[in-house]
Amino acid sequence: MKRISTLIAGAAFATAGLGIATPASAATICFAFQDLETEFWVAGHTAITRTLEEAGHTVIERNANEDANRQLEQVRDCIAQGVDGIIIIPQDGESAVTIVNEAQDNDVPIAVFNRPPSDLSKGIVVVADNASIASQAVDFLAKEAIASRDGDGKLTPMIIVGDLGDPNAVGRKDGFYAALENYPDDFNTPIEVASDWDAATALANLEAAVTANPDIDLLFTSSDFLFPTIRSVFEPRGMWAKRGEEGHVVMGGLDGDATACQLLKDGYIDSTGVQDLYFEAEAALSAILAAIEAGEAQPNEVIEDPGFALTSANLAEREMDMWGCVLLSEGFLDQ
Amino acid sequence: MTTLLSFQDLRKEYFGVPAVRDLTLDIRAGDVVGVIGENGAGKSTLMNMVGGVVQPTDGEMRWQGEPYRPRSPGDATARGIAFIHQELNLFTNLTIAENIFVDQFPSRFGMIDRPAMRQRTADLLQQLALDVSPDTDVDSLAPGERQLVEIAKALHRDAELIIFDEPTTSLTPRETARLFETIERLKADGKTILYISHILGDVKRLSDAIVVLRDGELVEQGAAADFDVPAMITAMIGRALGGLYPERTSEPRDDVLFSARGLTQPGILEDVSFDIRAGEILGLFGLMGSGRSEMARIVFGLDPLERGTLALQGRPLTGGVRQRIASGLAFVTEDRRAEGLLMDAAIADNLSLVAIEEFGRTPLAFLDKTRLARRTGQMQADMLIKAGDIRTQPARALSGGNQQKVVIGKWLMRHPALFILDEPTRGVDVGAKFEIYALADRLAAAGSGVLFISSELEELTGMCDRIMVMNRGEVMGGFDRAAFSDRDILAMAFGKRVPADEVAA
Amino acid sequence: MTDSGPRATVSGRDEFPAAPSVRQRAMRLFLSDYFVLYLSLAYFLVLVPFLPTLSNPANLANILSNMWPLLVVAVGQTFVLTIAGIDLSQGSVVGFTSVIGAMLLATSASPDVLSNAPIWGLIIDEAGGPLANVPGGVLVAIVAMVAAGAMIGAANGLAIAHFRMPPFMVTLVTMIVISAFAIFLTQSENIRNLPESYIQLGKGDIVSVYFGEQAESRIPRRQIHSFITYPMLIAVSVAILAHVLLNSTVFGRQVFAIGTNRRAAEISGIPVRRVIVLVFTISAICATIGALLYSTRLEAGRPTLGDGNFLLDVIGATVIGGTSLFGGKGKIIWTVFGVFFFVLLSNTLNLMNLSSFHIDMVKGAVIVAAALLDVLRTRLIRGEAS
Repeated sequence: MKRISTLIAGAAFATAGLGIATPASAATICFAFQDLETEFWVAGHTAITRTLEEAGHTVIERNANEDANRQLEQVRDCIAQGVDGIIIIPQDGESAVTIVNEAQDNDVPIAVFNRPPSDLSKGIVVVADNASIASQAVDFLAKEAIASRDGDGKLTPMIIVGDLGDPNAVGRKDGFYAALENYPDDFNTPIEVASDWDAATALANLEAAVTANPDIDLLFTSSDFLFPTIRSVFEPRGMWAKRGEEGHVVMGGLDGDATACQLLKDGYIDSTGVQDLYFEAEAALSAILAAIEAGEAQPNEVIEDPGFALTSANLAEREMDMWGCVLLSEGFLDQ
Repeated sequence: MTTLLSFQDLRKEYFGVPAVRDLTLDIRAGDVVGVIGENGAGKSTLMNMVGGVVQPTDGEMRWQGEPYRPRSPGDATARGIAFIHQELNLFTNLTIAENIFVDQFPSRFGMIDRPAMRQRTADLLQQLALDVSPDTDVDSLAPGERQLVEIAKALHRDAELIIFDEPTTSLTPRETARLFETIERLKADGKTILYISHILGDVKRLSDAIVVLRDGELVEQGAAADFDVPAMITAMIGRALGGLYPERTSEPRDDVLFSARGLTQPGILEDVSFDIRAGEILGLFGLMGSGRSEMARIVFGLDPLERGTLALQGRPLTGGVRQRIASGLAFVTEDRRAEGLLMDAAIADNLSLVAIEEFGRTPLAFLDKTRLARRTGQMQADMLIKAGDIRTQPARALSGGNQQKVVIGKWLMRHPALFILDEPTRGVDVGAKFEIYALADRLAAAGSGVLFISSELEELTGMCDRIMVMNRGEVMGGFDRAAFSDRDILAMAFGKRVPADEVAA
Repeated sequence: MTDSGPRATVSGRDEFPAAPSVRQRAMRLFLSDYFVLYLSLAYFLVLVPFLPTLSNPANLANILSNMWPLLVVAVGQTFVLTIAGIDLSQGSVVGFTSVIGAMLLATSASPDVLSNAPIWGLIIDEAGGPLANVPGGVLVAIVAMVAAGAMIGAANGLAIAHFRMPPFMVTLVTMIVISAFAIFLTQSENIRNLPESYIQLGKGDIVSVYFGEQAESRIPRRQIHSFITYPMLIAVSVAILAHVLLNSTVFGRQVFAIGTNRRAAEISGIPVRRVIVLVFTISAICATIGALLYSTRLEAGRPTLGDGNFLLDVIGATVIGGTSLFGGKGKIIWTVFGVFFFVLLSNTLNLMNLSSFHIDMVKGAVIVAAALLDVLRTRLIRGEAS
């Protein structure tokens, strides 16, 4: 495909240069997101726009309504509008690659936030490290369980695993085992309960597992969305109790949604691993802004979000870093 | 006796064409008045004005001495006027009682008061000597019984005037007799009846007075005793011929062009056979429902045929419409707007419609636009179509007569052997009628056959070599030009049988 | 009884004075083939002072590149609307055929993504699809896509023509079934790794223009914009072909005749059923070519391509162009202008930084306005004629 490029000195269309006047340090950033249908995306969207606006940057928002083609056209429109940088929450990993290429071909730095493209080599990519997040949350659980141990016997841990076809589920399970390996003398071999990311499956398998092993000491669920399911199994057995009360099982999860935040505050659960949305937003932004400052049009970088565990111990201090708690404080669960 | 309903100089025009002209008439309370006239004489328009379906252009109606100006059928119902139509307006999935009370269920404490409904319905049915339960579903009733339910509905609403429009068309003789008894009973109860029918004997038997309409005018009225059936027919047909039709310029040839044998389709046609010779115009006369248009559609392949054979120019005529057109058939349907023309398309596109495939050049059938323009232009000149630029002017913009010429012209582009003209002069002014007649003559002179279907007897006797008469799906007989007699033809159309051998040559 | 008197045509011609009045001129402009083009240009000129980006070359290149795939699909819809039908299945055909092309051509595939899909191991595996790296494979794959699309269109047409089912119902069912089938085939995953020569069909440019550096953004940016591209050549060819077919062939005349009055066309011996089947087949083939352009510009076969508001865009653009929803009136050139206006509209709404909800609301309102104009125009033409 031969490209006949014709050089036209000067601007044939003398419209350039009239763009939005911005302060020297401020930039115009195009934020193209895929949709705002789940609470997680609402939180992510708010995190980005707030941070940008507080720093005095201009944000141009584009909602693709779950249409990859529309997102591509929107990003192209942003490029034509002369934005300084682009941040996208892509519809899926495949279209993300195409869009990153499109931006880089046009010398516009781009960062992909929250949902990684299938090809991590191009663009600024911020990804959450599931294993690390899980291991932080489980480490706290292990310490709690050991601290509250009655006798000398080994403790019995249990994990509800997700659909193992999903890399996220695998990462979370790996993190769980990695954390327990640090306490080889304190724990028995964990009991695995399959959920396939499905509440009904989880309910059936958990009931069977708890009936067979009524004396578990630690439970980790690979996703917070299963807490209501766990409650319905535990409550009739007297295992759904607050910290310090009789029958409390040391319990934690991962995701950090509003329900988990509420349970943590009420004392039913002990920790939850959280993607640090605010860190991710911050990281994506500073990387983009740094590239703009440096005049680098094709910045490529993978930024891992180690996440953190929100626990009964650090709840007061880090509550507002967890997106679920932010939503909770805005009355999300009351709606 | 007092006058119940009167018309004073009543007039109704559709787009400037009068359908009812300055009609003045009094209908006395308690009378049975028979209304007769040919199709298009203005009977339906008059009844539609009474029923509030259409509003008069001019003149006045009075109901019980008060000015009467119904804006809707509801107004008419409210005054006490009821219609018993050919097509009954019943909900067949509801019971008799529900049908009678359908627009105003009696209620008690907000619930439908079914016992009251049943009682009232039973009373009405008893009055009409209909011995069925009020809870019977209407769809289990025979047509005659359904009609009685309609009448019960009218009585329930205290109708003073009941209008029967061709009430006996779907009834058996026994049901008809029962209907007549009912009408007598209604009359005895002081109701006023308007009775419209093509069956003149019935009209004479039932009526106190008879009113004859022709071309929207009241041509005769009087006591029923003063009429006999022949006099009624004479009054309906009326005026003398002369000057309305062109001279025929040719005689039919001897060779048979088209023949139909034993055409039978249950409920529509019964053993219909006839021939058309080359150069012959065969008229087909029959009343509504006689099967004349239905037969044309069957011959053209639009509707199914159970038994019988067709042959054109010695070859059997089979297959679908396309195949029959290819064999040399052309069909000018009775509904020009819905079936004849592309009203919003240009005149030239209409003219080229039938023959369009002849203008394709391979490959891909590219249109030969030059030849197309030449041929359509020629056709316009040939047919004396009065229009502007035929390539842009839509058919809608033409007068009725010119529209009909476009329809005939599109068929002529393919030089068909047999033309079926179904009501070709309907909605066409007198001048254009003459041109269409002349065209039929020209087609015949060129050796084509023409099957000329019309409900205007006059134009058939004016134009045809022979006339064939149909009644209830059967050929009743036929007349050669020398033997044309309006009275005999009409009598045959009303059901009087004549040996058919005069027709099926 | 024939008491509905003749609908006498009242000639309005002599009411008009010789010199055209302002009102008449306005009406003539309104009824002109180029009305929507004039409207688009006027819209463009009015907005340029407020949206300087609008006229910048990058944006013009965007407007053009967004036009081509939509135009191809809308051309197909034009045929269907002209016979007084509607094809709701075009979007699902886009998604389905994009999957067909991609699963045949992919040069590799990841088991992590696709191993649950029923086509895994059957058609596609780690080494890609059966036509990966086969010489001429791209052509074979395109033929397969078109064949699949044509079959769907023909099935629509047969159901509509032979069983006299309403097009709305038939194509609605096709839409649901085909899009579910496409999602089933890949278990809602996208198929990536398409060969470069295939992608070029959707992205490749032939003539690009370098405009120097753009000074506006903080990073100096090369300004090379594609104006003549493969999608442009493909779309323009499809449009020209369709124009010739509709305007200069016997088939085209038959399409108009059926759309104006199906009953009269049948009685006049037009092969109505055959033409209806062909028209729906053409519509689906156009959707398939659209699938080619959409899926290559996104570099993946996507079962969900053509979901959502896509149909609104297609039918909206066609109707804005002036093709009548009542049938009998349609021109490819109208559709070209309609698509142009529609893409321009979306682009300007984006440039105004409106939210997607507002954009869809405005688009919807414009389409309703276009449908109303269609009614008005039909009435005006009839009024003028009689």
